[in-house]
Amino acid sequence: MTRPDQTPAKPRRRRSGGRRGRQAARVSSTEQSVAYLERTLPAVDMLDEAGYAQIETNAEIILEEVGVAFQGFPSALDLWREAGAEVRGEVVHFPKGMCRRIVQANAPQSFIQHARNPAHNVKIGDNSTVFAPNYGSPFVMDLDRGRRYATLEDFRNVVKLTYSLPHLHHSGGTVCEPVDVPVNKRHLDMVYSHIKYSDKGYMGSVTATERAIDSVELSRIAFGGDLQDRTVMTSLINASSPLRWDATMLGAATVYAKANQASILSPFILAGAMSPVTIAALAAQALAEALSGMAYYQLVRPGAPVVFGTFASSMSMATGAPTFGTPEAGQAIYVMAGLARRLGVPFRSGGQFTASKIPDAQAAYESASTLHPTVNAGVNFVLHAAGWLEGGLSLGYEKLIMDADQLGMMGVYAKGIDMSENGQAMDAFRTNPAGQHFLGNDHTLQNFETAFYRSKIADNNSFEQWEEDGRLDAAQRANIRWKQLLADYEAPPLDAAIDAELQDYVGKRKSEMPDALY
Amino acid sequence: MADELSTGAVEDGDEFEDEEVDLTTLDDADLRTQMMDDLYDGLAEEIAEGTKILLSRGWDAEKVLGDVLVEGMRIVGIDFRDGILFVPEVLLSANSMKAGMAILRPLLAETGAEPIGTVVIGTVKGDIHDIGKNLVAMMMEGAGFEVVDLGINTDVDEYIEALEKHKPDILGLSALLTTTMPYMKVVIDTLRERGMRDDYIVLVGGAPLNEEFGEAIGADGYCRDAAIAASMATELIAERRNAA
Repeated sequence: MTRPDQTPAKPRRRRSGGRRGRQAARVSSTEQSVAYLERTLPAVDMLDEAGYAQIETNAEIILEEVGVAFQGFPSALDLWREAGAEVRGEVVHFPKGMCRRIVQANAPQSFIQHARNPAHNVKIGDNSTVFAPNYGSPFVMDLDRGRRYATLEDFRNVVKLTYSLPHLHHSGGTVCEPVDVPVNKRHLDMVYSHIKYSDKGYMGSVTATERAIDSVELSRIAFGGDLQDRTVMTSLINASSPLRWDATMLGAATVYAKANQASILSPFILAGAMSPVTIAALAAQALAEALSGMAYYQLVRPGAPVVFGTFASSMSMATGAPTFGTPEAGQAIYVMAGLARRLGVPFRSGGQFTASKIPDAQAAYESASTLHPTVNAGVNFVLHAAGWLEGGLSLGYEKLIMDADQLGMMGVYAKGIDMSENGQAMDAFRTNPAGQHFLGNDHTLQNFETAFYRSKIADNNSFEQWEEDGRLDAAQRANIRWKQLLADYEAPPLDAAIDAELQDYVGKRKSEMPDALY
Repeated sequence: MADELSTGAVEDGDEFEDEEVDLTTLDDADLRTQMMDDLYDGLAEEIAEGTKILLSRGWDAEKVLGDVLVEGMRIVGIDFRDGILFVPEVLLSANSMKAGMAILRPLLAETGAEPIGTVVIGTVKGDIHDIGKNLVAMMMEGAGFEVVDLGINTDVDEYIEALEKHKPDILGLSALLTTTMPYMKVVIDTLRERGMRDDYIVLVGGAPLNEEFGEAIGADGYCRDAAIAASMATELIAERRNAA
């Protein structure tokens, strides 16, 4: 008999251990991971030179004429006075170009955040992209138990899942708010949990000066010795937009800067309420806020690592509710990333945002509409990269898993096009007649395993197969996966003496203060 | 800075060493195990060599086929279904099976052993899509069937000519297009008109089909994918032979 698709003679293949060998290889090869993404994909610009220059000019005008409030934190005002800014009450007015000069003269273009496991050290800045999970949600939800207040157990679960998910590069910070622990003590449990249940990098507490100090002390114990030469935390300092830094954030920022730890100085803007409604205006304001925050950080400690942050989204002018995954929010990510590149500092923005309450089509569309701009704009540090629901009010267990799968895809996407000889595959054409499929071609055989990203969540089977498998939707498949990951979880090694010292510190600090609701 | 960072991909899993195995030195049991591994690994030359060695040791062709090749491909089929083996790998395994079958087929014919079965398959008239059909042919060959592939754009006369010539157990009809799938009914109706319909098991498949369509046009089975096609072919032939 003859067949039109007979494959040409191939060089002799090697034995690979038969079934046992292949099964072992397949199981282990599924967990390939990278510490962070190194992009070759060029960043997309949404503005030309004149556009960027105009926004930079407008930001300088805002900094000089309107100024930025540094509220309830007199030492910051003193530093600004010494640096030559004009302080009126608590509002600092900056001579044109001052903040930009301070940042460009001192802030590193990129830095390394060390992790407990050096294989998980991440580079933040330049062409790198780091994915970190959701941050700050008081609620969690899953398909079995619905929406509820998050607990410390939920917090630990998310840390464990993030540790187990190869496409999340960083353990994050307040992945959800453990509301069952008193306000003044929960930071101790959170930082300890990151250290204990993961070996990826993490973020410190920012909700009070002394909590930032505790975060630094716990990190000193975990990493051993002085941290002056090593950045082991990247923490989130939010502006209280418009044009205001508050005492809580400034207190934490000051602790971290002095300890040579990194902070993300991040305007938090829902356009319409916290800035004018237009993207050009939002951009000028966010640039002014970020410049003032990063410059302050450099005044506290020249050279301390900072990240230019932007959390920007739109709102429903009908109800005042924040909206996500909108085209305007996407534009904001592109413009801000371009401004950060021109300034020469690492940039944080984006994630997988949605206003949806459950992992449904709205959640998926809005998240994808945020994630693609995030990757195409070249964002360096992506907080909220997985798990976000309901405008950040809720972390979804299933959403975390579904989002992490998308992050894996973005890892491939950000690598850009393989233009090597193998990538061009001209030999495949020369050995495959027109009209014959490539499934048996040598090039296919050598590349098929890694050629395409294999989703663990998507179902690509026939309708009948899907029906036989129980007609599960994506969220139901994700539900099975997070339970499996938690069941399979094994904690990374932690030296017993260090663990004991960490627990002593947590115990001592908890015993020093009564439980408090603030 | 570079020293403090890991260098990208973390590779897990050792590659299995290329064990040089002299098949002639293995006893029968070990040789069978090794051949099933080699079938899994898609090593056609090794399968041909192993087949010859077993025959030279007095194994009859039917035993080599049933105990080694079909059993080996059954395992390949399971792992393909479970997502452990990929399409290009199953293609290699099927080609290895073919290499063994090429040696066994004349011997099986001589002894009068009942063949696993013969399949005539083709993409119907008006349709030139053949990748799915080729995958089915590959899986059928892997299961030990003799496959007569009529290629693409096959009209009813070509099917009938091939049926008369090869006397297969199974006729396989494939279509990718909603505009060409109705032609399957033309083929089946023509077989019926000529009183040939009951001489063959007719299996149909293709993306726009479903179970209901297969029943409506009078096919014996709708195959949703290539692995199902091979297992359904085996089952329906067994049923037919048992009934006979």
